[in-house]
Amino acid sequence: MPDLFDIKLVFTQIPQLLAYLPVTLELTAAAGVVGLILGFLIAMIRVKRVPVLYQISTVYISFLRGTPIIVQLYISYFGIPILLKYINYWNGTNFDINGVPPVLFAILALALNQSAFMSEIIRAAITAVDPGQIEAAESMGMTPNQVRMRVVFPQAGIIALPGLMNSLIGLIKGTSLAFVCAVVEMTAAGQIMAGSSYRYFEMYCSLAIIYWIITLILEFLSSLLEKKLSIPQESPALKQATAQEVLAND
Amino acid sequence: MIKIRGLVKTYGKNTVLDGIDLDIEKGEVVALIGPSGTGKSTFLRSINLLEKPDAGELTIDGHTYDLAKISKKDTIAIRRSTAMVFQQFNLFKNRTALENVMEGLTVVKKVPRKEARERALAELRNVGLEAWQDHYPQHLSGGQQQRVGIARALSMDPQLLLLDEPTSALDPERVREVQETIDKAAKEGNTMLLVSHEMGFVRQIATRVLFIDGGKVVEQGAPEQVFSAPKTPRLREFLASFNEYANTEADNAPARTPINVIVPRTPTIFPVKQEQLI
Repeated sequence: MPDLFDIKLVFTQIPQLLAYLPVTLELTAAAGVVGLILGFLIAMIRVKRVPVLYQISTVYISFLRGTPIIVQLYISYFGIPILLKYINYWNGTNFDINGVPPVLFAILALALNQSAFMSEIIRAAITAVDPGQIEAAESMGMTPNQVRMRVVFPQAGIIALPGLMNSLIGLIKGTSLAFVCAVVEMTAAGQIMAGSSYRYFEMYCSLAIIYWIITLILEFLSSLLEKKLSIPQESPALKQATAQEVLAND
Repeated sequence: MIKIRGLVKTYGKNTVLDGIDLDIEKGEVVALIGPSGTGKSTFLRSINLLEKPDAGELTIDGHTYDLAKISKKDTIAIRRSTAMVFQQFNLFKNRTALENVMEGLTVVKKVPRKEARERALAELRNVGLEAWQDHYPQHLSGGQQQRVGIARALSMDPQLLLLDEPTSALDPERVREVQETIDKAAKEGNTMLLVSHEMGFVRQIATRVLFIDGGKVVEQGAPEQVFSAPKTPRLREFLASFNEYANTEADNAPARTPINVIVPRTPTIFPVKQEQLI
């Protein structure tokens, strides 16, 4: 049985799959950015305990973290057209449901899902900032906004970074479910291609390799960024006072 | 001159400060002593508005403020003229020593960066840490961190420097270097309000000592008088507990200062690698 597993095909079909990589990356980028912004806003609501919004955010996070992403994609894909029909019915408007590109349903579901996870990471990071340093900033006369921009966010950012990157890596793989919203990204394209060749196993091997490499690249970039932002572990050399300064001191 | 009138601070039913009055002349060093939990720190923090007083007036910089209903703008004005030195240093740990001192100048006072840098360097030089300007707080000893804290506070040219137990988180050797720094700042004419449990230091540096107990000023006067001839029984009792402690310590340890102490020039740092944490 020489033909059971065509290892050559695993690699030769990768370029065909890579043609759909931009769709995957677009989904990831769009859902990631929207998720991050939403997540940040939700985190601020939770840290500040804004009444009403706080309670809503609790239910929101609980629901989005407590239901599978594939179910959320289906809800978005089937629910939004129904919602639009109702809006048309109530308001007499005429939104064209078929005019909405399917990719928007997928982005919406993925972004909301990301925002729930990211908001918790950001909230934890903000509350982890040393209150003593916040007091020090306040005591010197910084405005609340200056305290946030100069003390809280820079330090919370460093704390949140690994968690956010982890979430982003999860998102990349989550985009492979976007086919349920009729979006042909990399995995969906692979399934379509395999449908005609019946080489499903080879196709999934190829996909696994691509996703793995993307994740490796992201992990590498993340560790570079972490290194750049974190406080150096090594103590720097002592600054030698210049001859001029020594003279000035005497 | 700085005037504080009728400062009251309560937490629920618990009255921490029960109407404190205090006048501080320019260049004076006023020390607050008293048992823990009697509101000394709260008093300092109320002046800086890190705590919101329930009543009281503060006159500083020629303005009189009603501390109970103070606007955001006035809060910032008061904070700018009263710099705080914290027990736990509270340096910005993601900034170097120099950046820590520059922060208030550039962000709050909007001093141009170059000028702020010069000023911050001068302040670091003043506390003897110019060579450590590029070090992050984690690379500095406790004493050095507190000296940066003092430099950071002084860089704001405060009308009043508030020192909240500045040496109580330090080991005895570091206490000395910080005390010397505070002493120097006092000699340079900075007006100070100091909370401390180091009676020897208070006696040496203060121009006036206030004994606070139960949220009230129980006794005040020149350090000589307060320490050598306390009038109230409560202060006598309080000072006696210190003497007892000092005496027992003297009994157990013949020499209070170890003789063969090797003082490292740079702090010994053992960086903890991420792998070692688990």
